[in-house]
Amino acid sequence: MRPLIAVAVASVFAAAHAQQPAGEAPPWKQGMNPEQASSTLHPFAPHMTGRDAKELPLNTLKVPAGFKVEVWAEGIPEARSLALGDKGTVFVSNRLAKNVYAVVDKGGKREVKTILKGLNAPNGIVFSKGTLFLAERDKISRYDGIEDQLDNPPQPKVVVDNLDPTKQAGHFWKYLALGPDGKLYFNIGSPGNIVMPSYMQASVMRVDPKDGKLETVAIGVRNSVGMDFDPKTKDLWFTNHARDWLGDDSPNDTLHHVSLKSKGVTNFGYPFCHQGDTPDPEYGKDRSCKEFAKPALKLGTHIAPLGAKFYTGKMFPAEYQGNLFIAMHGSWNRTVKQGYNVMRVSFDAKGNPKMQPFVTGFLADEKADPPMWGRPVDLLVMKDGSMLFSDDYNGILYRVSYSK
Amino acid sequence: MKRLLAVAALALAGAATAADPAAGKAKAAACVQCHGPEGNSQNPAIPSLASQPAQMIATQLFQFREGNRKDPQMSPMAANLSNADMNDLAAYFASVKAPLPAYRSRPESAAAGAELTKKNNCVQCHGPALRGQQHIPRLAGQQHDYLLAQLRLFKASKRADMDGNMTSAAQGLNEQDIDVLADYLAGLPAN
Repeated sequence: MRPLIAVAVASVFAAAHAQQPAGEAPPWKQGMNPEQASSTLHPFAPHMTGRDAKELPLNTLKVPAGFKVEVWAEGIPEARSLALGDKGTVFVSNRLAKNVYAVVDKGGKREVKTILKGLNAPNGIVFSKGTLFLAERDKISRYDGIEDQLDNPPQPKVVVDNLDPTKQAGHFWKYLALGPDGKLYFNIGSPGNIVMPSYMQASVMRVDPKDGKLETVAIGVRNSVGMDFDPKTKDLWFTNHARDWLGDDSPNDTLHHVSLKSKGVTNFGYPFCHQGDTPDPEYGKDRSCKEFAKPALKLGTHIAPLGAKFYTGKMFPAEYQGNLFIAMHGSWNRTVKQGYNVMRVSFDAKGNPKMQPFVTGFLADEKADPPMWGRPVDLLVMKDGSMLFSDDYNGILYRVSYSK
Repeated sequence: MKRLLAVAALALAGAATAADPAAGKAKAAACVQCHGPEGNSQNPAIPSLASQPAQMIATQLFQFREGNRKDPQMSPMAANLSNADMNDLAAYFASVKAPLPAYRSRPESAAAGAELTKKNNCVQCHGPALRGQQHIPRLAGQQHDYLLAQLRLFKASKRADMDGNMTSAAQGLNEQDIDVLADYLAGLPAN
């Protein structure tokens, strides 16, 4: 689960913390019970200057037989979300570094360029038909023709703005995905760990880049930082981070599924109900989980699912076609840590999802602080069918390939 | 929106080498002019770097280079450092021992300061002995005037703050709290 981040004490933030002395606790501590006051659990920050791959125990990474994982590029501060240009450029975003980077493959050597600077939490990134779409804290912009002018990028055009009217303290970074309907899908997170969201918060939204028209797709979503569309059914699938401070084993982070044909807005329950079946101890008192849509899959407690991508390449074996890969960035809010891996979700004939490990080994010591040496964030299927994934903790992109 | 025009490559994959304290020491000649011998500051307004967590030092250098944190002296110093330079410098200063602080806290600050560090969650991130961890700085034995200035800046939401935690935490402090905290922290042993 991501740390909650405050900038200034906006009024909404003060209101959200009304039960606690204002401004004293870091926002990610919001929702702790008194017995947890001496907890030493805390979120982890990335190495902003990156770490050299040579320093890292890469030989501890494990992949299924026939697969290979290797470092593809390094030196990309806080490498987060990934997008692939038409001409092979890999665009890399972040939350904290305020830049966007481009990785250009030059005959086996990867050159890292800083192409945009001074952005406001530029976490969401999508490339389509020559245009780079970028979701910052408060707006979504487009950079047309950018891949042909990486050294002199075009001026952005705003698709939609005013996405953060309250300057919310937590979960203000946005993931961005392009739907089969040509619309841009993104999250607006809950402003705190466990607080009553205001209008537009704790939601999945979409905007039509043609006219800037906004629509709500789902609500009751604490924070989704990974989404993709099933290549067959065109349905939306997204990951969600459940609340903190309910203990090591509750509640699960979740995978959700919404048909784009469904009418209206689906409500997944936050802050009243977690994981589809667990009422919140405070907000759930007067509500029933039966009111809300259920998740498609429970992913693990505090495991922090980020990027989710369907495999659409040709390199991996046939049984991997249409599988959904999920990058697990956590957990920090657990005394015994889990996750820090890439998981594979396959579907049976009835479409029921089943999860198994795909890339493991970043979790070195489940009780250490920090417990891990790397943190997967987002995934990208390359033209050759290999799959990249980012690691913001070290500023590294890894490549997973397969050969018989 | 500010944009960077033509930018040289930051790094080539595989070209960098591991963070190296010896290399950092060789690059630290300019740093120790102000931060003191081996990064043990002699100036109350300038922070000590010795025995600070390596990730913290590299993160702050990064913030200066990227323009997120601004300072008339430090911004130009960091402007031309590569990520590898920052990691080397961080590895060096983190490896140096800090002597007992010359600063003497007021006796009455001992209990009051300790209480404030608990009440305001300082110990949760900076550690029970306030010696820092990961990206979080050591406060124990840090220079008094520097601590005072930074706490005031956080309180005023004017200090660069990567994840917002300190800006948030400082809102609960009044000027007297800040005075007691700086006095208490500056006298604590660093190692």
